[in-house]
Amino acid sequence: MRPFRRKRDDVVARLEPAEAGVLGLLLDQLEQLLTADADDVDGDPVMARLLPAGHRTDPEIAADYRDLTESALRAGKTDDLAAVRASLPAGGGEVRLDPDQAGAWLRTTNDLRLALGERIGVTEETEPPEDPTGEEGQQLAVYYWLTALQGSLVDAVAAGRAGRR
Amino acid sequence: MAGPLAPTRTPETTVEETADLDRPWVTIVWNDPVNLMTYVTHVLRELFGYDEPTATTLMLQVHEEGRAVVSSGPRERMEHDTSRLHAYGLWATYQQDA
Repeated sequence: MRPFRRKRDDVVARLEPAEAGVLGLLLDQLEQLLTADADDVDGDPVMARLLPAGHRTDPEIAADYRDLTESALRAGKTDDLAAVRASLPAGGGEVRLDPDQAGAWLRTTNDLRLALGERIGVTEETEPPEDPTGEEGQQLAVYYWLTALQGSLVDAVAAGRAGRR
Repeated sequence: MAGPLAPTRTPETTVEETADLDRPWVTIVWNDPVNLMTYVTHVLRELFGYDEPTATTLMLQVHEEGRAVVSSGPRERMEHDTSRLHAYGLWATYQQDA
């Protein structure tokens, strides 16, 4: 991977074919979660993190909030995911994003990290795997790869804001 | 717990408002182990128009104290602010200020 960098109004990165493949698979998994029947993912801690309760202690307010916002939030996340898929070169290569696409990538890579982090139980103390083989090591390695990708994207987008002044 | 950094939004006054309803609502961002500090700062700037020092101070408050009030105002606004934060994957809730 060549991390995201700013080029005029765009941000540009380069992904290896294997990296583009992994990202594509993660997008498929996230889409399955977001479009699943509510009953099938009820109680799934990943869904609870992607679409959290709006109120901590009052179930009535939390239910009101969910009624008001959930379908729009789901639709927004699904739209973002489609925008990422459309700008991801399936066989790897250059990723060039305009500001709207960069926003979709920021939110979607964050959702992927939230989902993966919840599944593998990431805490403040979690560190990159010493041995990136085995299922747990591989998942952690993917998590840290996503972290590097998203981190470079945040920095590149923030650099654009500084440049606009 | 409206912190000194929380912006005050003009309450929409209606005739039937009582003292209890006058208590403002707040939107709170909670710490979590996944969201990057740079990302949280970016989102607070993007959604609320905070300048860099304000957004950074709020982000550090989330990181170090576990939570920060990022906006305050009428309930409907706080619902809206919470949903905008959820769209970006931040862990946010809203409540009536204690």
